[in-house]
Amino acid sequence: MSRGVIVTKDLSKTYGKGELKVYALRKTNISIKQGDYIAIKGPSGSGKSTLMNLIGCLDKPTTGKLYIDDTDVSTLSENNLAKIRREKIGFIFQKYNLIPTLTALENVTLSMGFAGVDSKTRIRRAKNLLDMVELSHRISHKPSELSGGEQQRVAISRALGNNPTIVLGDEPTGNVDTKSGNKIMDILENINNQGETVIVVTHDPNIAKRARRILSIEDGVVMEENV
Amino acid sequence: MFRDNFNLAYKNIKERMSRSILTLLGITIGIMAIISLMGIGEGMNVAVEGELSSLSDTIIVNVGEGFSIFSVDQLDNTGEYLTERDITDLERIPGVKEVNTQLTGMASLSFNGDGNSVFVTVTGMDIESMNLLYGLADLSEGTLLEVGDQSKVIIGYDVAHDYFDNDVSIGSRVKINGKKFFVNGIFNQQGFGGVSTNDDIVLLTSRDFQKATGESNIFVATVSVLNVNEVESIALEIERVINENHGDEDFASATSMSSILDSIQSIMGILQTVLIAIASIALVVASIGIMNTMLTSVMERTREIGIMKAIGATNKDIMSIFIIEGLLLSLVGGLSGIIVGILGSQAVAGFLSNMGPGGGGPPLEPVVTFMAIGLGLSVSMIVGIISSLYPAWKAARMSPIEAVRYE
Repeated sequence: MSRGVIVTKDLSKTYGKGELKVYALRKTNISIKQGDYIAIKGPSGSGKSTLMNLIGCLDKPTTGKLYIDDTDVSTLSENNLAKIRREKIGFIFQKYNLIPTLTALENVTLSMGFAGVDSKTRIRRAKNLLDMVELSHRISHKPSELSGGEQQRVAISRALGNNPTIVLGDEPTGNVDTKSGNKIMDILENINNQGETVIVVTHDPNIAKRARRILSIEDGVVMEENV
Repeated sequence: MFRDNFNLAYKNIKERMSRSILTLLGITIGIMAIISLMGIGEGMNVAVEGELSSLSDTIIVNVGEGFSIFSVDQLDNTGEYLTERDITDLERIPGVKEVNTQLTGMASLSFNGDGNSVFVTVTGMDIESMNLLYGLADLSEGTLLEVGDQSKVIIGYDVAHDYFDNDVSIGSRVKINGKKFFVNGIFNQQGFGGVSTNDDIVLLTSRDFQKATGESNIFVATVSVLNVNEVESIALEIERVINENHGDEDFASATSMSSILDSIQSIMGILQTVLIAIASIALVVASIGIMNTMLTSVMERTREIGIMKAIGATNKDIMSIFIIEGLLLSLVGGLSGIIVGILGSQAVAGFLSNMGPGGGGPPLEPVVTFMAIGLGLSVSMIVGIISSLYPAWKAARMSPIEAVRYE
């Protein structure tokens, strides 16, 4: 039985103790289906990064449950979380976060390497992905030799390397100009059209509007917004 | 997976080239010191073994305490000597091939009609013993005596140059107890560097010794044996026979050349161990250097580590990247240390060979064994792994979220 690719049950995250206790995320119940295109919107400090870190298995909830593909990840060990991250989740960060010493191609193959994909398959797949984001002519360039928009497209290719269930973008257009931003959003929508679940965290209403569902978050409370 | 982690580690080292070179220099110096010290030590061993192994069938018998590399020039002064009976008894011991004797006594020595004469210790021995005991010593001039030589002496450097107003040279005429002798050879100056000091020696044949002094005090006898394997048991037998003759349990000592070789080797072994222990300090410092560099690297790459963890690297992956990096640094350092060490041992050996008065230590050829190279490599690998363990563990412990937040 599939209840959705991401399901949370009273998911919450607090920092500190006693009087100093801060609710970063209050009991949250959401369900995200396979193929959804979701924007998580909210001002800074609202808890959207916390929610994204939880969904991305970078952080553990204080209470509540989080299911990814029907697996309860809230109790998993660090190594198992790493496994979930590399198999189910593709990250796209605001600041691209490519490894500076590696070329575009090596950056894309890296996560496949962690997942144990053999080197031939890795390189073939990485080339296809870089081709898809129109960067086949830049595969042996290092991040410092690429523009912001190009770096973000390499990051998208990297995120897709292990055929993840969910693509998570944290302000993916936050650091690039409007034109490059639109290109990046086009690519993400294209991926979504192929059946991938895409979640984008943004504070930009224009970006959020492009999604099919918007989750608005304020003071740790998540609300569904009508699109 | 190893190849990917290796690639990451390699690229990181390359990215921080000058820092990496400075770090591995520490390892290079440590390994270099160990390799060159081992090479020279081994070279000394081979040289000593080569010089002494030809004498392995020889036992030296003397009155008093054993003949050792420390006391060879303090063998006079006991006032007691081996007797003719002792020598005859020695010749009777089964397995003994030959017994040669060395006579010692005091005599007055004068030069060039110089009114001053000096009182010296003179030593008489047959030609064979002379070749055996002094064949390796360097003569600055002239030659050792040959069979049939008469009225000829070999003198030490100090005798030739310090005892009289004028220098004694080859062919000079000296008088021992008033009897004329021609100087046939002069030993090189030894100072304190040599195994025994020949600087004050006056050496002549047994016959001439008796002619000049009228005495035949046997101070040292050299015994050669038929079977090298029996050398130790015959030495014990010799001691027993002579001590029995004199009714004194500690009257004489018989020492085989191989036991002298053993003691030289054990002393050199201790010396080498001490030197290598000192060299190891350099390695400890080097390993702290690696750890320091790696810790800095971990700090600098907090974000990178976080990214790798976010995209699926396990703690094990992160650890292996950093350990490989430490290992790479130390292996490259170790390899260059081995090369520099081999070259360095050649240089030091050359220096040692030319050191000392008269420029004349024995030629020393450093011997760098495969064992030394293997040791150098494994030590550098161990240093690399140990010193990168803590930084690697620190890196692996980083939370991906802390790391990604770092901007």
